[in-house]
Amino acid sequence: MADPSEFELLGRVTIGQYMPTGSVLHRLDPRAKLCMAAALVATVVVSQSLLGLTVLLLAVLAALALAHIPLRFALAGLRPMVPFLLLLALLQVLAIPQYSANARVLWRWAVLTVSDRSLIAGVLLILRFCVLVLSLSLFSFSTTTTELTHGIEHLLRPLQAIRLPAHEFALVVNIAIRFLPILAGEAERLMKAQASRGADFGRGQRNFIQRARMLLPLLVPLFLVSLQRADELAEAMEARCYLGGKGRSHLIQLQARLRDYVALSIMLILAILSIHLNAIQADQVLWTWLAKNLSHLL
Amino acid sequence: MSSTTRRIVVAGVLGAISIFLGASHLGFIPWLAGAALTIMHVPVIIGAVLEGPWVGLAIGLIFGAFSLLQAAIAPTGPTDVWFTNPLVSILPRLFIGPVAWLVYKALQRANEVAALATAGVAGSLTNTVLVLGALGLLRFLPWALIGTIAVTNGLPEAVVAAIITVAVVAAWKRIETGRKGSTV
Repeated sequence: MADPSEFELLGRVTIGQYMPTGSVLHRLDPRAKLCMAAALVATVVVSQSLLGLTVLLLAVLAALALAHIPLRFALAGLRPMVPFLLLLALLQVLAIPQYSANARVLWRWAVLTVSDRSLIAGVLLILRFCVLVLSLSLFSFSTTTTELTHGIEHLLRPLQAIRLPAHEFALVVNIAIRFLPILAGEAERLMKAQASRGADFGRGQRNFIQRARMLLPLLVPLFLVSLQRADELAEAMEARCYLGGKGRSHLIQLQARLRDYVALSIMLILAILSIHLNAIQADQVLWTWLAKNLSHLL
Repeated sequence: MSSTTRRIVVAGVLGAISIFLGASHLGFIPWLAGAALTIMHVPVIIGAVLEGPWVGLAIGLIFGAFSLLQAAIAPTGPTDVWFTNPLVSILPRLFIGPVAWLVYKALQRANEVAALATAGVAGSLTNTVLVLGALGLLRFLPWALIGTIAVTNGLPEAVVAAIITVAVVAAWKRIETGRKGSTV
């Protein structure tokens, strides 16, 4: 007897989970929020400095408090990852050679070597992941998908000057998001139809060829039904004289306010601060200071 | 029918399938020791083969952006930590569609089915090589391990991608010619 939840396909999706707390972050212009998210992700990826990343982590925690989002919701996605994260950090510390001339070896056993550099690399990995998880969760908790697609379209608009299809791409994203629940319903129907004919979608022990073959009677109709629907949708749009982005107006006009500029400036300052801390090698300064003071204490 | 509207809609719908395969975990086939094979990139290959490189690029971008979001918001496995980096999750995925399309166009004259299968393999291997290459360049993994993963994960993924691409596109084109009486 199959577990009925086996057919609940989108139950686990947390992306696009919106928490309407009505905070000032929720009311920010989606364009500003998109720019801030992009700037934050770029800074986190570039930054090699522990101090710089700590600054960003504190900023994201402050923003979560400002958005009235309980920390345990934001951390819920992080919790199952903790063991993996520690394992990966360990791998980073032990197995990946950090090619650096002035790395100090702290510990060595057979082929395993721990230098200060590799230790820092492991901590950086954990910090970076935490900042990214928290900031992207914050973004999806405070932005509806409608705001998101509007924001994307408006932000990409300048690219139309160099003939990049900004409006078209925003529409693609919009269709994809709107289509998701329809697709889930369709897949559920197909799975039930196949299960009633004896197909077993359970998570039994099978080799991958069997599993792949098992998926074919589900995937092929799913693709075909979707392509059929795409045809119908395109025809319906043509019948309503859809002509692309030229001269189209919008029901909701986005307007940037003072608070959007303030938020953007704060993000910019944080990004510059973080990269500056990276550039002046603030970590080294901190290490020397700590080493001096600790040796003094000892 | 205007081809632009059609391309927009097909890209949107196939992008939705890619998101759906990831979100519902249908797109992961359990494989050796917890590592999973993915077929989330198959919609990118199919879109590129059916509607051209731009559609492939757009679906690849959606696939990449979603895998970044999923890795960050709802992580499912140890590798998700790396995929929060857009250089691993987004950039490599942009090339799947264009490569699959080029291979398909180059071989289409010779044999349609062989062209589809090769496009599936080529698109899938593009994903494997570029993602693992990014992991290696960013020093997340030692190169020796990357070679092993490329063989144990990349090759079965390429085979599965080729099978699904051929099955879907062949069926779709037959339906199209059958119902509307036009050739593709």
